Amino acid sequence: MKKIWIIVFILFCFSLSPTKGQVAGTGEGEKINGLFAGIPFKRFVQQIESSYPFRFYFSDESIGGLQVNLSAKDNSIRQVLDAILEKTDLKYVIDEQMRVFITKGTKMNLNLPEMFFSTETPDQSSVGTQRQSDVERVYSRNKLYIIGSGSSDTEAILKGKITGLETGNPVFGAIVFEKVNFTRVFTNEQGEYTIRLPLGRHSLFIQNLGGFVEQRQISIQGDGILDIAIEENIISLSEVVVSSEKMANIARPEMGVQKLNIETMKRLPAVLGEVDVIRSILTLPGVQTVGEASVGFNVRGGAADQNLILFNHATIYNPSHLFGLFSAFNPDVVESVDLYKAGIPTKYGGRLSSVLDVNAKYGDSEKIRVKGGIGLLTGRLTVEGPIGENTTFIVGGRSTYSDWLLNLLEENTDLKNARASFYDFNFNVAHKINPKNTIRFNSYLSSDSFRFDRDTLFQYQNQSANLSWVHYFNEKMEMEVVAGRDMYNFGIEGRDNPPNSYDLGFDIRQDYVKANFTYEYDDRHKLNFGANSIRYKLNPGYISPFGSESTVDANEVNPETALETAFHLGDDFEINDQLSVNYGARYVLYQFMGPNTQRIYEAGQPISSTTLVEEKTFGRGETIQMYHGPEFRASGRYILNNISSIKAGYNTNRQFIHLLTNNAAIAPTDTWKLSDPNIRPQWGDQLSVGYYRNLQINRYEFSIETYHRNMRNLVDFRSGATLILNNAIEQDILRTDGRAYGAEILLRKNTGRLNGWVSYTYSRSMLRTAAEETAEKINDGNWYPNNFDQPHNAVFVGNYELSKRFSTSINANYSTGRPITLPVAKFEYGGSERVYFSDRNAYRIPDYFRMDISFNIEGNHKIRKLAHSSWSVGVYNLLGRRNPYSVYFTPVNGVLQGYQLSIFAQPIPFITYNFRI
Amino acid sequence: MVKKSYYFFWCLPVILSLLSGCRDPFEPEIRFSDFNLLVVEGFIETGSEESILKLSRTGPIRGEEEFRVESGAMISLNAESGERWDFIEIEPGMYSLTGNFDHDKTYRLQILLNNNHEYLSDPLIPIESPEISDMGFNRNEDGVQIYVSTQGNQEAVHFLWGYEETWMFRPPFPSPYFYNPDTKDIEFRKPEDQVGRCWSENKVNRIVLENSGRFTNNIINQKEVVFIPNLSEKLMQRYSLNIRQMAISREAFEFWEIMRKNTEDIGGIFSPLPSLIRGNIHAVNTSHPDPIGFVSMGKSGKKRLYINVQELTPWQVFIPDYTGCAINNDTIPPQFYELEFGGPNFVPVVEVVEVLTILGYQGAPRRCADCTLRGSNVRPDFWED
Repeated sequence: MKKIWIIVFILFCFSLSPTKGQVAGTGEGEKINGLFAGIPFKRFVQQIESSYPFRFYFSDESIGGLQVNLSAKDNSIRQVLDAILEKTDLKYVIDEQMRVFITKGTKMNLNLPEMFFSTETPDQSSVGTQRQSDVERVYSRNKLYIIGSGSSDTEAILKGKITGLETGNPVFGAIVFEKVNFTRVFTNEQGEYTIRLPLGRHSLFIQNLGGFVEQRQISIQGDGILDIAIEENIISLSEVVVSSEKMANIARPEMGVQKLNIETMKRLPAVLGEVDVIRSILTLPGVQTVGEASVGFNVRGGAADQNLILFNHATIYNPSHLFGLFSAFNPDVVESVDLYKAGIPTKYGGRLSSVLDVNAKYGDSEKIRVKGGIGLLTGRLTVEGPIGENTTFIVGGRSTYSDWLLNLLEENTDLKNARASFYDFNFNVAHKINPKNTIRFNSYLSSDSFRFDRDTLFQYQNQSANLSWVHYFNEKMEMEVVAGRDMYNFGIEGRDNPPNSYDLGFDIRQDYVKANFTYEYDDRHKLNFGANSIRYKLNPGYISPFGSESTVDANEVNPETALETAFHLGDDFEINDQLSVNYGARYVLYQFMGPNTQRIYEAGQPISSTTLVEEKTFGRGETIQMYHGPEFRASGRYILNNISSIKAGYNTNRQFIHLLTNNAAIAPTDTWKLSDPNIRPQWGDQLSVGYYRNLQINRYEFSIETYHRNMRNLVDFRSGATLILNNAIEQDILRTDGRAYGAEILLRKNTGRLNGWVSYTYSRSMLRTAAEETAEKINDGNWYPNNFDQPHNAVFVGNYELSKRFSTSINANYSTGRPITLPVAKFEYGGSERVYFSDRNAYRIPDYFRMDISFNIEGNHKIRKLAHSSWSVGVYNLLGRRNPYSVYFTPVNGVLQGYQLSIFAQPIPFITYNFRI
Repeated sequence: MVKKSYYFFWCLPVILSLLSGCRDPFEPEIRFSDFNLLVVEGFIETGSEESILKLSRTGPIRGEEEFRVESGAMISLNAESGERWDFIEIEPGMYSLTGNFDHDKTYRLQILLNNNHEYLSDPLIPIESPEISDMGFNRNEDGVQIYVSTQGNQEAVHFLWGYEETWMFRPPFPSPYFYNPDTKDIEFRKPEDQVGRCWSENKVNRIVLENSGRFTNNIINQKEVVFIPNLSEKLMQRYSLNIRQMAISREAFEFWEIMRKNTEDIGGIFSPLPSLIRGNIHAVNTSHPDPIGFVSMGKSGKKRLYINVQELTPWQVFIPDYTGCAINNDTIPPQFYELEFGGPNFVPVVEVVEVLTILGYQGAPRRCADCTLRGSNVRPDFWED
């Protein structure tokens, strides 16, 4: 007798009860997880059906005594079934409603009614080439869902829950809207939404912020429920998708915004196999670096200190390990990064060039998970998961064990005492007090120490902790309040010999409070407003003797204190379907405060020791100098047609903290300086225009953005400036104007087995001594190239998926060599031999070109095992090109000889093992 | 601070990747390898003292050749009122002019080279330097600081000091004897050939600058010009410092300031970015490059100071050249004079006498006995005892 298992299955309810109407529009994308060890097939089916939307239909007879023996980790249902039924004569078929029919011998023939498909949509033309899951998604999109039963009102309320397609987690902040009357709502923390719609047919669009647009055709006849699964971060095994995908490329009003998720970063070939946030963003157009081992990056011709680097609200002053070899973010803790090159939201400020917002995770809400990896240099381990119902946590650590590499170099006496070590640690917790209140705690610590001989130890630390509170007043308004502290310190311990022992260093501490509100004024206006305040305590430098025998003189640069407060208001205004604008402003107040001693110089004269008039002492809390002014942010988008749009933006920024660096390369000892009466805040603006177009039904994404930036009060230095332990640094500073302009062209393929992007950037970054600066005119007061002016830059990133388990990535990077000032002649003057230098940055070091390759191998899904593992192997600098990092001159036997220094001058193979439990 | 350290620090990444070398020679293609820029140096004295202008050329950065002088130029000083004085070339590249020039006039320097390139200075306004009001020295734990004091005025605000150091020194074993190969005997040196006392001088100068405007009543009090560290041989016997004080314009002051800073460090990987140096002389034909140099004009003040070692007692001296010096205990009898003292490196130092008979001489290495290897035994003209 045939006994058919039918378990209650409602895909959508033709509404006998008005509150029902569940839709499982998730398709086969549903990932199966779990250990199914030696259980009968029926048990397996029960387990699957209880956790996943699949429903199985089969006869007991045909199954017989089939046993299931497998461990699944993010496998598709097909992979799982293929594995189970491999050695049997059973065949299966899955239909769009996720019914699984298992038959013996031949596949069941499924003939779905034609009317379920809408054949008119343009997507259909490409359906044939798309993967099965895409077909299902298209199906869900075009299917007409009938909701509710005849209501007497003219309007009905539709409720539902938006969940992630892959994770099943609720999607918070997704927009549900229909385009006729512009009715729009956002999902709450639980992913729930409620929208009031007139009865009748609607196209309902669901968009995750910055993400993919999902849509549903509905016919609403009364109150009902529609649950929808959408893609969250557009991650899937077969795709590498970098940012705002498809529609978003065209539709989002901001420009110059790039999003990279951790999956993409993991695919890029990395130095020594370390997944690296900062190196990953260097593959994006408009982001450059002066060298392979330098701290920081340059965005659109801005200096490295003009980037605001945030790690879950915390400002990171030194985002790197080993002075720039690796970035200081643990890839297992990072969720995604957003880079704002333009279109910086009003809530961010304080830096001229960009905001890099690194989003860390708060832990998995389902179960405890362990992740880790072992590479050539580092090991890492992350544990995340829920504690109770409302709390999740993540703890991650990473540490180096690189000393063994250095120990191999015993032969080289100069380095046998070299030691390098670093670690970083994250601990984040999120706790939901009630549906309206969530508290999150973030903490981060990174530490580095390095010495090249027994005598001198360099070390630095980032330390941050903050607490945030998210509160939903109602559906329209929410608030986030954050309070925290960030610290950075750098130190050198010199232990050359007892009389010469010293400690040298500097540190920064900042305490901040931020309150940001979003208020949905109506369908067309979304307001963002708030205030934030940062109190800086900067210890710009000290040297102190170490030990009783030390004869080193103690010296300290006066500590500095300042308060930066900003108020901001922004509006996202959707004027009509085509035109949308984001506009807003910040007003910033900056106070440089006592206690401190302020030097006053003759007005109108160059600031130098010779024009010093007096020194004035200020007490604690006294305002020595106040600067204030507005910043404007505006950007707009005009949609030309379905596949293309133009955007334009303008923004201004102010910056009150400056990195003092006088080297082409960034030296480890570079310190920071707050604006004071003699050093004015930096100011910059940016005008950008772009054109965006998607080709071949969103398969290719093309964009071209051009920009022009002006900058004022940048910091450059007079000849022979001393930056370390200089209590009167303003005497060595030259006020400088900057301008940068360029164009960024990006062509990206998001889908298919071969995906990736090609970008070309033309950019110039020029400086000029300010007209009012009389002390010294660099290059006679003409424009000269910045240290990181690299006009041509081209990047190719390609991923090819050989199979689900095996993929390969190639990354190629070309850029013009950066400028350098060379000594070009010598002469005798004033009784000594003198060197004559070329104009500032008149020469360039040779061009840079590098190619890397990596292979990612996912572990076998079929073997029963404890952990899911993957391997990443590759070669950095495949061609072994000796790219010069720096060029310098040193006298050899009385004759100046030039040298070029290369880092990673040969192909560097790497291998990393990663696991997840 | 720790240059060596930086080098290794930057090599670290390479070491990590187990590579042997990270440094390759770099030969930049300098667009025209020899700039051959004209260099003009000098100060025009207004008060009947000799003014020297030096013309030379920059050389290639890696050249080992001597600095090239620019010979055969016509240099003239032209007053705005039309008068004109010509310099005469006293040595190749050294041009001299002596004259009395009115401080109320403005002048321009005109240079016409052999190759017909012509250069003209910005207007020169003579500035008379006030007298050096005081000159002296202070001893501290690290050494001796020599200072000048002066008082600036409305015209003379910025000061530049040039100096020459001269000092007397003795070798560890001054020898009054020498081996005469003609007589094959040891003889006394003539006074003009003595090698036991020499003078050395130092012209590799620091640039010393000061702005009197930052002090009350423009008084520059005890400005350090020279610092003599402990153990220096300069104060072994008697030391003399001649200071020339020049009042210069603010532009000249800035020129010298850049020159001073640019010299401190050249082209290292962590050295600061250098600045371009020019001056106040320009090519008439603007297609020619401007020369390097800043010529000022005025009346300088001069003063000489002597310091005797007695004023500083005790003053220990350490001369690296004389480390390991000792008298050889062996007495060289006359029959071995030629063998031992006939060469250049061993000289007789001590006469060994026993009961009125000269048994012979003990000798010492020449470097320990002959000061002319490190200085001149000719007493400078100005030297006062």
